[in-house]
Amino acid sequence: MMPTARVSASVYTDTRYQKIWWHRFRLLTLLGLALVCSLLLDLTAGPADLSLGQIVKHLLGIEQLSPRLQLILFDVRLPDALMALLVGAALGLSGIETQTVLNNPMASPFTLGISSFAALGASIAIVFEVSLFGIPAQYSLPLFALCSALFCGGLIMLFSHVTSGSRESIILLGMALFFLGNSLMAGIQFVASAEAVQQIVFWTIGNLTKAGWPEVSLLALCLLIIFPISLRHVWVMTLLRSGEAQAKSLGLDLAKIRLAVVARVALLTAFAVCFVGAIGFVGLIGPHLARLLLGEDHRLLVPGAALCGALLLSLASWLSKSMIDGVVIPVGILTAVIGVPVFIVLVLSQQRRF
Amino acid sequence: MICTEQLRVKFGSKTVLDGITLPPLQPGDCLGLLGCNGAGKSTLIQAMGGFQTYQGKVSVGSDDLKSLSTRDKQRRIGYMPQQIPQASSLLPHELLWSSVRALGFNWTNSELSYRIQHIIEALGLTEEAVTPMHALSGGKRQLVGLALVMIREPELLLLDEPTAALDLHWRIVVLELISKLLVQHQGVAVAAIHDLDLAARYCNKLALLHQGKLLAYGTVQEVLTESNLATAFAVEVEIINRGEDQIKIDIRGVTSPSHP
Repeated sequence: MMPTARVSASVYTDTRYQKIWWHRFRLLTLLGLALVCSLLLDLTAGPADLSLGQIVKHLLGIEQLSPRLQLILFDVRLPDALMALLVGAALGLSGIETQTVLNNPMASPFTLGISSFAALGASIAIVFEVSLFGIPAQYSLPLFALCSALFCGGLIMLFSHVTSGSRESIILLGMALFFLGNSLMAGIQFVASAEAVQQIVFWTIGNLTKAGWPEVSLLALCLLIIFPISLRHVWVMTLLRSGEAQAKSLGLDLAKIRLAVVARVALLTAFAVCFVGAIGFVGLIGPHLARLLLGEDHRLLVPGAALCGALLLSLASWLSKSMIDGVVIPVGILTAVIGVPVFIVLVLSQQRRF
Repeated sequence: MICTEQLRVKFGSKTVLDGITLPPLQPGDCLGLLGCNGAGKSTLIQAMGGFQTYQGKVSVGSDDLKSLSTRDKQRRIGYMPQQIPQASSLLPHELLWSSVRALGFNWTNSELSYRIQHIIEALGLTEEAVTPMHALSGGKRQLVGLALVMIREPELLLLDEPTAALDLHWRIVVLELISKLLVQHQGVAVAAIHDLDLAARYCNKLALLHQGKLLAYGTVQEVLTESNLATAFAVEVEIINRGEDQIKIDIRGVTSPSHP
C-alpha cells in the first residue's frame, strides 16, 4: 500500500534512531570494556601478592611470573573470576529472556523456582550423602542440584504446554514451585545434622571459590550454545515489548515462544547455580540495568543484560575477596546487599517504564 | 476478497456468533461492523483473521482461510486488536522495525527504513517515532498500533475499533487514510466501529450484529434504519436522508433502561 516514489523528508526518523542506536552501541562496548577491567581487578584480589601490572605483563608475554604465582593465577584465581563472569552472564541472559517473554519486570530465573529446586537438590545430596552410579562425592552435589533444577524447569515447560503458554499461569506456578522448593528444603534441614545444615546454608548463600576448570568449561559451553539461539530471536523479543495482544495479532505463536524460552532459561540457570549456589538478584537487576542503559532493542539488550550480569557478579567477586584482608565473603551475600538497594532505586525511578 | 458462510463461534456452551454469512467484499470495500457491546463484533473480526476457532467457512480471495499457512496469513491479513501497544520504553520505530524482521519479510534495510518513514509521516507520528511508548498518549499509541498493521501492506485489514482512543481530528485523519489506501491499492477493510456517523461516512458497506446474529447487511441506507437501531441499541432515533448515501442520525433517547 505504499507509493513507489521516495519521500524527501529532511529529518529522517531513521537518522534520529541511528544516533540513538549508535549511542547505545557505544554504551554496550563500554560495558564490555568495564567487564575486562573488572575481570583483571578480580584476578588481583586474594592473599598472594600478585599485582595487576604483573598479571597484565604475564598475559602479554612481557614478564614471566614465578611457577607458584602462575599456579595461583591459572588454577585458583582465573577459574573463580571466569566463573563469576559466566554465572553473571548466564543469569543476566536468563533474566532478560524471562522478563520479556513473561512481560513481567519482577520475573527472573529465581521467581520460576529453578534456583530453589537447585538448592533442594543440593540439600538432598548433602544431607543424605547420596552418590549416583559411583560418581565422586564432589560431583554428586552439583549433579543433584542440576537434576533438581532441570526437573523444575521441565515442570514449568509441561505446565506452559498444558496452559497454552499463559504467562499468568507460568508466573504463578513458578512462585508456587519456589515456595515448594523452600518448604521441602526446610523439611530436609529439620531432620539434618547441624553440620549438614551449615553446609546447606553455605551452599544457598552462593560461593564462587569452589569452581574449577571443568565447571567453567561446562558453563561456557552451555552459554556458547544458548546465547546464539537467544540472539536469533531478538526481533520477536523486541516485538513482545509492545504487549501480548500486539504479538498475537501478528500471528506469533506465543505458547511456542514461551516454551522455548523456559527451556533455555531452565538449562542456563540450572548449569549456573548448580556449581556456585543460589546467587540472587543478578538475574533480576542485570536486565534492568541493561534496559536502563540500552533501551528495548533486544539486539543490544540481550548481550547487554548478559554483560551487566557478568559485570555485577565480577565486581561482587572482587569485593568479596578484597573487602576484608584474608577473608572471602560468600559472593551471594554481596550481590543481595548491593542488589536490593539498586533494585529499589531502579523500581522507583522507572515505574512508568514497566 | 473476503466472505463468510455460516460462521459460528462458541465459548464453551455459549454461542457468540451464530451463522454469520457475509457476501463477498470487493477490492476497495470498507465494511463497518456495528452493534452494541457484546454483539460479537470483535469475535467476528478475530474469526475472519483466523485468530479465533470457528465453524463454517471464511474465504480470503479464492482460498479457504483454514488452508492458509501462518506465513500467508501474516502477509495477507493485517489484524489490529482492540488493545493498544503497551506503555513500555520501546520506541515506535523499534516496534515497526522488529515486527517486519520478526515476520521474516526480506525487505532491505533501506526499503524498510523508507516504509517506516512513510507510514510514520502518514499517521502524523514523526515527532513520536523515537519517543518511548510510555511517554505517548493512548491515542498516539493507537496510531502506532495502526502503523504496525499498515507497514506490512496486507490486502485485508481487520480493524477492531481502530479509532476508539483517538480524538475527533485523528479519527477523521485515520479513517480518511484507510479509505485512501483502500482505493489506491484495492485492498479490503473490515472495521468494528462504535461511532455510527463515522461508520456511515467512511464505510461503503455495513453489517449490524445483534446477539451474535447478523441483523442487517448492506449499504448505509439499508442498514441504518430506525427499526434496526431500535433493535440493536434500544435507542429511539430519527434518520434524516440527505441523499447519495448520506444520512443524519437524530438521537431521541433510549427505548429501554436495560441494554439489548
